[in-house]
Amino acid sequence: MAVQGIWSGTISFSLVAIPVRLVKAIEPRGVSFHLLHSKDYSRLSRKMFCPEENTMVPPDEIVRGYEILPDKYILMTDEELESVSPERSRTIEIVEFIDTKDVDPIYYDHPYYLVPSKGGEKAYQLLVEVMRRTNKAGLAKFVMAEREYLVAVFSRDGALALTTLHYSDEILPDEDMSPKKGKIGAEEESRMKKSIEQMIEDFNPGKYADERRKKLVDLLATKAKEKALVEAPAVEEEEGEGPADLVAALEESMRKVKAR
Amino acid sequence: MSRTFVDMARGRLPLSNLEKDLYPSYGFTKANILEYYRGIAPFILPHLKDRALTLKRYPEGVEQDFFFEKRCPMHRPAWVKTAEVPQDDGDKIRFCLVNDLETLIWVENLASLELHVPLARAGSPWTPDSMVFDLDPGDPANILDCARVALILRDLLSRMGLASYIKTSGQKGLHVFVPLNRKDTTFEDTKTFSKAVAGIMQKHYPALVTAKMAKQERIGKVFINWSQNDASKTMICVYSLRAREKPFVSFPVEWKELEDLAGLGDPERLQVVHSEAVRRAEEKGDLFREVLVKEQKLPHL
Repeated sequence: MAVQGIWSGTISFSLVAIPVRLVKAIEPRGVSFHLLHSKDYSRLSRKMFCPEENTMVPPDEIVRGYEILPDKYILMTDEELESVSPERSRTIEIVEFIDTKDVDPIYYDHPYYLVPSKGGEKAYQLLVEVMRRTNKAGLAKFVMAEREYLVAVFSRDGALALTTLHYSDEILPDEDMSPKKGKIGAEEESRMKKSIEQMIEDFNPGKYADERRKKLVDLLATKAKEKALVEAPAVEEEEGEGPADLVAALEESMRKVKAR
Repeated sequence: MSRTFVDMARGRLPLSNLEKDLYPSYGFTKANILEYYRGIAPFILPHLKDRALTLKRYPEGVEQDFFFEKRCPMHRPAWVKTAEVPQDDGDKIRFCLVNDLETLIWVENLASLELHVPLARAGSPWTPDSMVFDLDPGDPANILDCARVALILRDLLSRMGLASYIKTSGQKGLHVFVPLNRKDTTFEDTKTFSKAVAGIMQKHYPALVTAKMAKQERIGKVFINWSQNDASKTMICVYSLRAREKPFVSFPVEWKELEDLAGLGDPERLQVVHSEAVRRAEEKGDLFREVLVKEQKLPHL
């Protein structure tokens, strides 16, 4: 089956326009749990709570506020938010090509693949090949889900990969992290080099797996076999038939229906 | 993937995999599905209009996995109307609104065989325009038992001054709709009322009816599911196909006809398949039209 695309459009620069689909490159495999009520195992739901009135707040009474000073907010409506959202767009517009090695990995956010759509295969292959040979990556802007992303397009294993990048103002400065520069002794340096050299391997991430996840999945499998499952109650079943007036009227009507 | 284009008022719409058989044991391709919805469009569109659509997609056909999609896909054409609807958890979701033939065809091209919509319109998500009784038979009870319950329910509602309308679910059950179409109705009203009705029905017909959700309570009885009267719930839209072995349709039935069919004792006779659906709709018109317009007030609330 064809992979489900998240987005489809064209990747373009200068006079080139290649129809592509964006697909996921990673599938997080975390084990997630639901929160249940320990007394009856019903699924818990999140509700918005107003501590001031000590009451639950229905969705139509919820507005958005930006806290500009402590307890002082600027209200923002959906329409106002919409007005600053970028126009939906069908293109990944490459604005410049850069050296692949110049992309600082700290900017990498989320990886995707780009798959050629019908009619785009040839141009796609050409771009993959030329980018590979020249070691270039395309820097592009594109809009998905009402956000504008800065992305890098790479040639990878005969296909195009796209990685969303953090904007530079999101990256925290590292100036306070690194220690003051001191003298490095030649002997120390060579000793550390040697230690490192002894541990050099090819990059082979397949050797490693999330051990906690593995153990967790095993534990779940064992428990599923050994222990009875707990069951959520079938919604609330509180007795009480309704407003007395209504119930009386229904009883009266029912009597007539049955007497017919 | 094969691709075809269809010319519509809003331009060319690409359609994919038209030859794919989505009901393999019956033989009903994506092209047949699009053809069905094109034929039934004049009848189904008023019932989909301005309602937040939940897509139930069967990309590999009715025998394979399906998935629900509430959020209107981002790759939608620019002319697809959408509406943001607040959810229980305080979030908002942008849904598709199927307000025209083009959108219906586009949605069906996504293999959303079943079209599920709320009882309220997107612009007034807390105002149900009808109250529903979802009659669901627990084995070995069947659709004929549902019909018996529905007929009693109709009489009871009628004594309460309320007209009701019925459709098949296209699966095993029946859906009784009570049109309200008043701005002042809330889901709290419809839930309180329907729950009280279900309770009375259970009290007077304990061997036939249960108002309780619990599975063991439902064996051999008709479960009157009143809890569908909720802003967060959806119902299968009248005239929608169902993803069963055959392309059955959730189809409106006249009460008189239901009385006759209930007497025949053949549960299959109550099911309406695609071709019959279009033919009957064209012949009789929209039997569910009143559900959209008739104003009624729930008494004694």
